[in-house]
Amino acid sequence: MEIQSNNFVSLSAIAIRNSEMQKAVSKGTRNGYDKRLAAMFAYGEEHGEAMRQQAAEAKRRALRQLPELLEMAEANMQANGIHVLWALDADEANRQVMDIIKRHEVKRVAKGKSMATEEIGLNHVLETNGIDVVETDLGEYIIQLNHEPPSHIVAPVIHKTKEEIRDIFIEKLNMPPTDDAAEMVAFARKKLRDIFLSADLGVSGGNFIIAETGTLCLVENEANGRMCTTMPRVHVAVVGIEKMVENFEDYATLTQVLPRSSTGQHMTVYTSMINGPKRPGDADGPEHVYVILLDNGRSDIYATKYAEALACIRCGACQNACPVYRSTGGHAYGWVYGGPIGAVLTPLFVGLDKAKPLPQASSLCGSCKQVCPVDIDLPRMLLDLRHDTIQQGLGDTLWNLGIKSWAWGNSSPRLFEMGGMAARLGQGVIGQNLPAPLGEWTKFRDFPSFAPKSFRQLWRERQKAQAQS
Amino acid sequence: MNSRNTILKKLRATQTPFTDVAPIEQRRNMVPLAETTPDALTQRFIAEAEKIGCRVYAAEDAAAAFERVFALLNGDKQISAWDDAFLPMPEFSETLKTAGIEITASDNGQVRLGITGIDAGLASTGSLIFSSGHGKYRTVSLLPTVYVAIMTTNQIVADFETWVALQKERGLDQFRQSSNTVIISGPSKTADIAQELILGAHGPKEVHIILLP
Repeated sequence: MEIQSNNFVSLSAIAIRNSEMQKAVSKGTRNGYDKRLAAMFAYGEEHGEAMRQQAAEAKRRALRQLPELLEMAEANMQANGIHVLWALDADEANRQVMDIIKRHEVKRVAKGKSMATEEIGLNHVLETNGIDVVETDLGEYIIQLNHEPPSHIVAPVIHKTKEEIRDIFIEKLNMPPTDDAAEMVAFARKKLRDIFLSADLGVSGGNFIIAETGTLCLVENEANGRMCTTMPRVHVAVVGIEKMVENFEDYATLTQVLPRSSTGQHMTVYTSMINGPKRPGDADGPEHVYVILLDNGRSDIYATKYAEALACIRCGACQNACPVYRSTGGHAYGWVYGGPIGAVLTPLFVGLDKAKPLPQASSLCGSCKQVCPVDIDLPRMLLDLRHDTIQQGLGDTLWNLGIKSWAWGNSSPRLFEMGGMAARLGQGVIGQNLPAPLGEWTKFRDFPSFAPKSFRQLWRERQKAQAQS
Repeated sequence: MNSRNTILKKLRATQTPFTDVAPIEQRRNMVPLAETTPDALTQRFIAEAEKIGCRVYAAEDAAAAFERVFALLNGDKQISAWDDAFLPMPEFSETLKTAGIEITASDNGQVRLGITGIDAGLASTGSLIFSSGHGKYRTVSLLPTVYVAIMTTNQIVADFETWVALQKERGLDQFRQSSNTVIISGPSKTADIAQELILGAHGPKEVHIILLP
């Protein structure tokens, strides 16, 4: 996927003028936000908060021993009959999937929802190689038909209204016209059922891997995940190396905190624990299961002050809570991950120079940290990334000059006073709209008026008056 | 050096993060249950299952359960089901055969109704949990539009945490022997189209639970 993150400002300007998208995103995010609140704190605030901390600690304990857990998970998965592969980057992971496809003479791939495969651009690679690949999560299916990337971690088509989705189905698939969402779902169900039954290979992501049992865990509601991991002959899961969970008990916490934070469910409809290919005597299930452990920059993040970002369980709660995401939607962020977690992950994955505006795309209101089921300090990391931007010399030249002048102006009382006088005089001439380039700032707000006299002036006058009396 | 070793080496080359996280002393369960007696847990299970869109029928005996199955069949002559050994009903397949109903694989596109037993029911969330295996077909709870689970009240445990503890007691090897274990919580659903909740996205549209004593 082409990285457009440096165009955040212009992309969000377009997004804010798209009234259909505004309607859809605002409805979707508010809905998600309210449902999370109800589910997370269904048993009281103290309990919900304690569970959040329990989940946060489970993830951090796992990250602390990540290399050991990866080795343990690998050995246990292999013992369960799973082929384990390791991919350093997107190219290697895609190559591994293509090798598996060739080895098993695969023609059609049914794909379950997975952010990791979005990250590596798997669909594009498969299509280029002439493989028929179909997204089977309803939301992902719709945006694949419309050649768009997902705009939300768990609700990929959150940016579209029912009418827009209807039109996509009519235009791309000749759906008989209807405004009934149930009829649209029934139509897609039929189309995709044929795909499940004819696909040779199913691709999934992975929400967790339990190291002590070598179990790949998935959550979902539609059953397309179960289909992709049950019906085709071969199942390939692409899973980030940070998805390790130490033990079954931690998994029990995490797999229940995730849906509560995400869709406000107490359990997803399907919570699958996959221990490998079908066993001798089993009538169904895949013959081969592969797990590709994907690094793609994660081991670099692990070594930095941003390691916390690896605790993310991809619930989308920070997106639903973020006032910026609620206004811009996910596409404005210009890569796979949008919202606060995207503003942190994107610069870390693709390089700060390719995603400069994202750490600025936040008012630092703190909502994202507050709703995060694993208590990731997103505002702290956004600030650190801003700091890095300047340290790496990536700051805006004019901005840097402005800040330097400000620092210089504050370096002596005399300069400070002269600056204040100049500003008061200047404002008398130009009013409340600053000239370019500062005019960008006053385009949407008035520059506050200066007091007629500065504090220093008042102080001096007071001292004088006192001396006289 | 292969990618595996490169990745592991990189992870080990750095200072270990999160060394300040305290070791776990005691975990809380996700759902603090007031119910402790088997009867109370059964009631909670029924209430939670209904909340997530399952229809629960308490059947006093196998005859009543069969009656319910036939009512749900609604004249269908083909169903798919688990093998008798994994259903809490005596001579299940024989009874259906006598009634002229064929038990068949669920992937032929004809079968509307699938019947399974379960390993355990979770009172805290109204969920069904079971592993796959010989005679415990995965597709039966997946492909048909109507899914029926038949279970007994003594299969109900408090919550997922309790079930996990039971697996550990039995030894995790047994859990790992099955290629797949699934927790089902209600009918398949989607809200991808403008947040409208639609049942029967790709899996069953209806989930019925027949609860035997």
